Amino acid sequence: MPAAPFAERARFDARDKVLGRTQFTADIQLPDMLYAMSVPATIAKGRVRSVAIDEAMKIPGVVRVLTAKDFLAPIPPPRGATGMAAAPAVPTIVPDIAYRGAPVALVLAESIEAAVQGAEAIQATYAPSASFSPLITSEGAAREPSEPVKAGNAAEAMARAATIVEAEYECPAQHHNPIETLSTTAVWSGGRLTIYEATQGAQVVKANAAKSLALDPAIIDVKSSYIGGGFGQKGTAQRQTALVARAAMLTGRPVKLVMPRGQVFHNATFRPLSRHKIRIGADASGKMVAIEYDADHQQSRGGQFPPQYHESQPQMYGVADYDGTTANVRIDTQAPGYMRAPHPHPASFAFEGVVDELAYKLGKDPVAFRLAHDAKVDPVSGHPLSSRFLNECIAQGAERFGWSRRSQAPGSMVLADGTQVGFGVACGAYPAITSANIARLRVSADGSTRFAVSAHEMGQGIRTVIAQALLRQLDIDPAKLDLQIGDTSLVPQHLTAGSWGTASVLPAIDAVAAKMKAAIEELLAGRQIDGNLHRKLATVRRPYIEVEVSTLAPGQEERALLGLRAAGYALAGPEYPAFTTFSYIAHFAEVHVEPRTRRVRVPRVVSIADCGRVVSLRTAVSQVRGGVVWAIGSALREETEVDPRFGGWLNNDLADYVVPVNADIGDIDVSFIDRPDPLLNATGSKGLGEVAMVGAAGAVANAIYHATGRRLRRMPIRIEHLL
Amino acid sequence: MTNYADDEDQAAKVDARQNVSRRSALKGGAALAVLPLTFEGPAEAQPTAPMVAGVAVEPAHSVLLSTSVNGKVVEFRVDARSSLLDFLRERLALTGAKKGCDHGQCGACTVHLDGRRVASCLTLAAKAQGREVITIEGLSDGEGLHPMQQAFIDHDALQCGYCTPGQIMAAVALVNEGNATSKERIREYMSGNICRCGAYVGIVAAIEDAASKMRRA
Repeated sequence: MPAAPFAERARFDARDKVLGRTQFTADIQLPDMLYAMSVPATIAKGRVRSVAIDEAMKIPGVVRVLTAKDFLAPIPPPRGATGMAAAPAVPTIVPDIAYRGAPVALVLAESIEAAVQGAEAIQATYAPSASFSPLITSEGAAREPSEPVKAGNAAEAMARAATIVEAEYECPAQHHNPIETLSTTAVWSGGRLTIYEATQGAQVVKANAAKSLALDPAIIDVKSSYIGGGFGQKGTAQRQTALVARAAMLTGRPVKLVMPRGQVFHNATFRPLSRHKIRIGADASGKMVAIEYDADHQQSRGGQFPPQYHESQPQMYGVADYDGTTANVRIDTQAPGYMRAPHPHPASFAFEGVVDELAYKLGKDPVAFRLAHDAKVDPVSGHPLSSRFLNECIAQGAERFGWSRRSQAPGSMVLADGTQVGFGVACGAYPAITSANIARLRVSADGSTRFAVSAHEMGQGIRTVIAQALLRQLDIDPAKLDLQIGDTSLVPQHLTAGSWGTASVLPAIDAVAAKMKAAIEELLAGRQIDGNLHRKLATVRRPYIEVEVSTLAPGQEERALLGLRAAGYALAGPEYPAFTTFSYIAHFAEVHVEPRTRRVRVPRVVSIADCGRVVSLRTAVSQVRGGVVWAIGSALREETEVDPRFGGWLNNDLADYVVPVNADIGDIDVSFIDRPDPLLNATGSKGLGEVAMVGAAGAVANAIYHATGRRLRRMPIRIEHLL
Repeated sequence: MTNYADDEDQAAKVDARQNVSRRSALKGGAALAVLPLTFEGPAEAQPTAPMVAGVAVEPAHSVLLSTSVNGKVVEFRVDARSSLLDFLRERLALTGAKKGCDHGQCGACTVHLDGRRVASCLTLAAKAQGREVITIEGLSDGEGLHPMQQAFIDHDALQCGYCTPGQIMAAVALVNEGNATSKERIREYMSGNICRCGAYVGIVAAIEDAASKMRRA
C-alpha cells in the first residue's frame, strides 16, 4: 500500500545553519595545523621544466613546498577492469601539464598569509607544447562518436512526416560555483589517513585517494558531513585531495587547503559546451512521429563524462521512432563533468525549443500541443512508464499561471510603456535512479538515537527527509536524533547525485525501522511498557539496541553491495526489470523585455513537479525554486569563456561569471502532484533536485520568442541578442 | 572612512564599556613582544570563542590589534596582511563568516563593523582597531534566536547554509538601514549576497517577516 502524504516539517539542520554553527570542511580547526596553497600552471599544455622553491622557503612561516618529486607513481587500474574501477587515478602534481591551472606546487605554511605569499614566490619554468586545442573548433580537436540511442525506425517515420522542423541549439560551458569552494583537510595519525572534504561521494574520495597515493583504502577514512553546495562539482574525485593528504603524511601535521575560486574554475569539473541538432517530424494530424537528434560536447583528452543527451527525450511525448547520436570533441582542457541536470538541462533547452517551433509551425498552442502527446511507454526499453503525471503538471501549471490570458502571436502582448511580455512553457524529465544502501540504527535508553546511512547533505535536505521518514516509523526523541552521513568510517557511502538520494534512503529506513521494531518486540517478549522506545529500553535496563540492514534497488543483485563498499557506486534505473520511471516537471515563465535596453526580466515562474510521493514539502519547494533560479541563470547569464590564445578560463571569478543575484529573481510558485510511484519503492518517491531545473531554461527562451518573435537558440540569451 | 584619531577614541569607549584597562592590555601585548617570535594570544580579555593555538608571526609583519568582537574585547597580535575574515575564522575560531570568493563578490563573509555591513574578506583585520565587530555568532545569545534567524528557518530561506550567515548579517543591516520597504528594494539591497542554491524567494519573505518584528521590538 502506498505511503500516505507526509506532514510538513522544518529543515532538520536549519537552526545550526542560521546560528553559523554548522561545521563545513573549511571550518575545521586542528592543533598544529598547516595551511596549504596550490600554485597553478601558467601554460595550457606542455611540461614543467623546473620549480624553484628557494624564494618561497625564505618567507617566514613557510614550512615546506611539495612538487612533483614528492609524489609516488599512482596505482594503475587493474587489467581487465571495467566501469569506475577502470578509471585512472586522479593525477597528483605531475610534470605533464594537460590544462592551464593544473597544480605545479603546494606550499605549506603556518598561516594563510604566509602560504599565499609563498605560492606567489614559486617560480616555475615550462617547456610548452608547440600547439594546443583550446576550442572545439580548434585544429587538433578530435571528434569521437559515442553510444547512439535508437527506438523504432526514425528515418522511415520521418519520410512519412507532413511537417518537419529542424534546428541547431547550443549550450555554453558553465561552472557550478557553489559558494563553498573546494576544500580538503587531511590528518595522518597512528597509521590512518583521515580526509575531511566537501564531497558528494566520500567513498569515491576514499577509493581515489588510495589509488593516487598508492595506499590501502582500508587505512583511509573520509568525512563529509556538510557540503556548502555541490551541484555535481563535488561528486567526482577532486584534484587537490591527494595533494593535501600527501602533505599531511610528509609533515606529520594536519593540513588544510581552501582552494581560491579562480583556481577552482580550472581544477574542478564544469558543464561542457554542447551542441544539439534536432529534427522533429509530425504527421498530417499534427502528431509528432519521428525524432532525429545529433548531440556532441566538449571533452578533455582523457575525460570520461559521457555525452548521454538522450536520457530523457525519447519517452517525453510518446514518439515511437527516435534516432539519437552522440560524440565527444576532445580538446585541451580539464575534464568536464556532471553539473546540475547534466544532460537533460541542455537537451531540454534544445528539444523543448524545437517542440515550441513545431507547435508554432503547426499553428497550435504550445500547452495544448504538449498535452496531446502523453506517453505510456519508454520506446527505448519497451517498458511501461510506472508513473507519469506530466499532463497533470502541465494542466495544473497552465491554470495557476493564467495561460489562458496568453495570445498566441509573438510580440502581441505589450505593456503601456512598450515592454514586451512573453509567456513560455517547457517540460522536463529526469531518470528515477536508485542505489543500494547500508544503514545502522542505534536507539538508546538515554533518549538518543544514532542513524548512520549512505547519504550526503549538500543543502538538498536529505537529513530532513531521513528524519521525516524515520520519525514517522519510530517513536523516538527527535531532539536527540543524530544523523551520521557522509562518513566512510561508519557505513559505506554511495555517491549522492542524480536525484537518487531520497529514493535510496527510504527503503533503508523502512528496513531498519522494521528490524528495530522486531528487535524491541522480541526484547519485551509480550510485556506492555508505556512510553517511547527509549523509555521501553530504560525500563528493561537495556542501554541500547543496534540493528543494521542493507537494501537493494529494484532488480539489483546482492553483488551491488560490493560496488557500494569498494567505490561508493551501485546504481539501478531508470530502466528496471519490468518498468521504467522518470520524474517530470512543467515550467511556465513570464518574461518582460524592456523596449529600449532590451533587458530581459523574469518576474514570475510557475513550476509543477511529479516526483512521486513528496516526503519533505518544505525542502522540496526550495529545491524546485533553486532549480528554476539555476535555469534562469543559465538561460540569461552564465557562460565560462575560454581564452583561445592562452587556454584556460577568462572569467574565472564571481564578478565575471555572472550567477543570479536576488534582484534577478521574481516570484517562483511551486506545487507538486504528490502521487506515489507504485513500483519504485514502498513510499512511492522518485527524485527531485535535478528535474527541478530541467525545462525551465527552455520555458524562458520560449517566452522570449513569444515576447519578441526572436527564436534564440543559444544560451545565454543576453541584451545584445535582442537589439 | 574613520581616521586613526577616531579609532583611538572609539577604542577608549569600548575599553571603558568592557571595563578593561587599555593600558594594561597594551602592557600585556608588550610583554609578549619580547619573545623571539611573538605568539598571538589574548592579553587581558577573554576571547569570544575557543581560540586557535598561537602561531608564530614575524614581528615585522605584526600589529597589535585591540578590538571588540561580539561585545567582548579582544587583544591580539595579528599578521598585518590578515583579512578580518581570516582573523575571525583562523585565529578566533569564529567560523560563521564564510570564505566564498575572497574578492568581495559573494557576500558570504558579511559581518557588521560599527553596525555597518562589510565584506570581511576585503577588510584588513588591522582596520578593526578600536571598532566593534559583530558576527553571526554574536547576533543572538544562541538560546533565543534573532527574529531574522527565526524568519530564515520559518521561510526555509536557506539550503546548504554556507551563504546563510552572510545573508542574515546583510539582512539585519538592511532592515536597520531602513531598506526593507518593499520586495523590490529588499531584492536590490540583498544583491551583494549570492545564494547559489537559489533561496532568494525565501530570503525576501524572511526579511519582510523579520522586519516587521524588528520594528516592533
